[in-house]
Amino acid sequence: MRLIVERVSHGYGALEVLDDISLTVEEGEILAIIGPSGCGKSTLLGILGGLLKPSKGRVLTDGSAPEGSLNPITYIFQDFALLPWRSVAGNVAFALEHRRLGAREREARIDEVLAKIGLRDFASALPRQLSGGMRQRVGIARALAVRPAILLLDEPLSALDAQTREILIEEFLALWLAHRTTAVYVTHNLDEALRLADRVCVLSRRPGRIREMVAVDVGRQDRTPARLAPLRERLWRSIQDEARAADREYV
Amino acid sequence: MSEPLRFRGGGFVTRPKPISSCLAGLAVVAIWQAVASAGWVSPVFLPSPAGIARALAEMALSGQLWRHLAASLQRILLGFALGSAAGLAFGLALGLLSHARAAGLPIVSALFPIPKIALLPLFILWFGIGEPSKVATIALGVFFPMAIATYSGVDQVPRTLIRMAQSFDVPTHAVVAKVILPGALPGILSGVRISASIALILVVAAEMIGAEFGVGAFILTAGNLMRTEDLLAGVCLLSILGLAVGFLVSLAERRLLAWR
Amino acid sequence: MKLLSIAAAVALLATPAMAEKTSLSVLKLASSGPVFLAQDLGHFAAEGLEVELKFFAAAQPVAVAVVSGDAEFGVTGLTAGFYNLAGKGALKIIAGQSREQPGYKLSAYMVSNKAWEAGVRSPADFAGRSFGMTQVGSTFHYMVGLLAEKRGFDVAKMRLVPLQSIPNMVSALQGGQVDTAILPSTVAVPMADRNDAKIVGWAGDETPWQLGALFTSPKMIDTKRATVERFVRAYKKGVAAYDLAFQKKTDQAATDKALDILAKYTEQQKGAIAAGLPYIEPEARFSAKDIAKQVAYWQAQKQADASVDAKEIVVTTFVPSLD
Repeated sequence: MRLIVERVSHGYGALEVLDDISLTVEEGEILAIIGPSGCGKSTLLGILGGLLKPSKGRVLTDGSAPEGSLNPITYIFQDFALLPWRSVAGNVAFALEHRRLGAREREARIDEVLAKIGLRDFASALPRQLSGGMRQRVGIARALAVRPAILLLDEPLSALDAQTREILIEEFLALWLAHRTTAVYVTHNLDEALRLADRVCVLSRRPGRIREMVAVDVGRQDRTPARLAPLRERLWRSIQDEARAADREYV
Repeated sequence: MSEPLRFRGGGFVTRPKPISSCLAGLAVVAIWQAVASAGWVSPVFLPSPAGIARALAEMALSGQLWRHLAASLQRILLGFALGSAAGLAFGLALGLLSHARAAGLPIVSALFPIPKIALLPLFILWFGIGEPSKVATIALGVFFPMAIATYSGVDQVPRTLIRMAQSFDVPTHAVVAKVILPGALPGILSGVRISASIALILVVAAEMIGAEFGVGAFILTAGNLMRTEDLLAGVCLLSILGLAVGFLVSLAERRLLAWR
Repeated sequence: MKLLSIAAAVALLATPAMAEKTSLSVLKLASSGPVFLAQDLGHFAAEGLEVELKFFAAAQPVAVAVVSGDAEFGVTGLTAGFYNLAGKGALKIIAGQSREQPGYKLSAYMVSNKAWEAGVRSPADFAGRSFGMTQVGSTFHYMVGLLAEKRGFDVAKMRLVPLQSIPNMVSALQGGQVDTAILPSTVAVPMADRNDAKIVGWAGDETPWQLGALFTSPKMIDTKRATVERFVRAYKKGVAAYDLAFQKKTDQAATDKALDILAKYTEQQKGAIAAGLPYIEPEARFSAKDIAKQVAYWQAQKQADASVDAKEIVVTTFVPSLD
């Protein structure tokens, strides 16, 4: 499924957050969106998922969802957004309970994704008993259980430590290679963007505009730090002034 | 020249010492009894623990204790059930609906601090001197803390959980039932704790008017008759009731909020 | 300026140099009239006493104030609570105050309009009805017991409803939530005039009894007997003035003046006071026999402790007994 953004602008009252964003997320690609804080990347992701109504412009989808998809556009959240009173399996079940799905089919799906993510042994654990990495795995399992056509990832790894992040990047890549689900990956971490994305969209801040669109023309198996260094350098030059400005601002 | 590093941490941490708690309680009772037995203080001013225990035992043996307890518990349970159910519904509306909040919150904030005891004469005019006015007094006292606890409990449910549910197309009623209510449960249970003790306080006030039986009526009558031993026996009963309620709420918290 | 200081000096001279301070807890009611008269007419001052009046809203606190030492003397109605305090050796009755007496309209038997329609039209009809009163053990509670005894019905078969205050009793009677009540004439007469309820008789005509008394603590009698004697002497002069003004009524000027004084202290309309003046025995005597009967009644009702001994409560050495 493709996602087409046509001249989207958004503001809260007098504050302009996004200005005239147009882009297309192609079928089966990972588009990373980076930018300093305050560039409106989370707002854009909200608009893409239908959780926010843009002040201007529109978002279109094109193409068909995979078979058995219950929720074509599905989020993975920065803070995991798990129901703390539900077990791992219960959290995955939450995404399925209101769908027309037999109990057996639901159990089968839950079991399938938990096995895929390596959570089977933790099915009855509560979120508070899990590490941050395991919690985000539950978030991923919940998203996969509805068989999404488009995944929207809102800084999914930024609440995790560096090592866990590294492990999860690899796991996510392996999963993505198996499904090739269209994905929009919002992050402020250049390395994450370069490791995962086909293209990187750089937003400027106040209001958010597309500064540039950079294709990551290195095969995914070849993305070593050395090979990515020139691209990283280019992206950093593109955003560093604004990142510094954002850093020195009152929050 | 090596020397061991000087330790300078420690302290400032309190640990539970159950034996000290028990000993302190026993010591207070023992000193109290000793002062009373020695006759330094007139029993009018300070009834002895033994006297209070005797009063309680007499009540239990004559069957009065159960009549008083049954009458009060019935009022408390009914008033609490009505008041907290209404408070829960109202608090939920305050937490979820902008119009309800705009209209209801100023009213609740204005009425909450009113001592409900002051409204008792009005309640008698509205509901008479029978059970309805007593139940209404307790229900009204319970309603406000419950509404406010529910409302702030709903406010404390992380917005991201609601966004998550919406992102999975979970229907509104299921968002309320499966996300907002369980998420507000810690707030609601602390509301239950507060309003249960308010119900106990108000039962004394409610039983001021026209009550033949009830722990509150018993305490008031003991006060009217200057029977200080009976008075303190009744107060002991109330405090035992309060401890029991606190225990039940803690039990509920441990079971329902195990996820915290 | 000079005039003021002369006035101050005169005032100093006028009070006896060694005036002893004492205190009395009291209700702002016409039944406390003798105390107000003794105070205003200077009888206390003449005995070398400077009496501080401490006002309370109900009979109970008046008695408690004497037990707790906040006041040295108290004068008010006799309740079961009073006897329980007195029974623990905390209070002694030393002189009489008001009595329910035939011809004195002090406490009215009241019937709600609803009960009136249902045929409750005399004190005898109170049997089996609900009865509003202030508190368990109050004078109202005792009076309904006396009525039941006289008319031969069982008070246990009535529903006695404690309502804590006179205003609550009024609204309960008005709303028909209680069938019957006994109310002071100051409240009862206006209610009947507005037809909010019916008066069906007067407790004084039906069951005369010793309603109120002057009392002090045993410690006062033991340690400051002379003070108690002086206080009672002045009190008796107040009672005599009350008797002259309101019971003998031979001196209109004295009556007018006494009414003014009562109006000042009770903060009530003179008309209302005059309509509800209780009988007070002219020599401040009281009936020890009646006290014993009250104690026995409360003990039978289990409202007074069995250990209360009526003989221990009364002291008849300051004022001789009526009996």
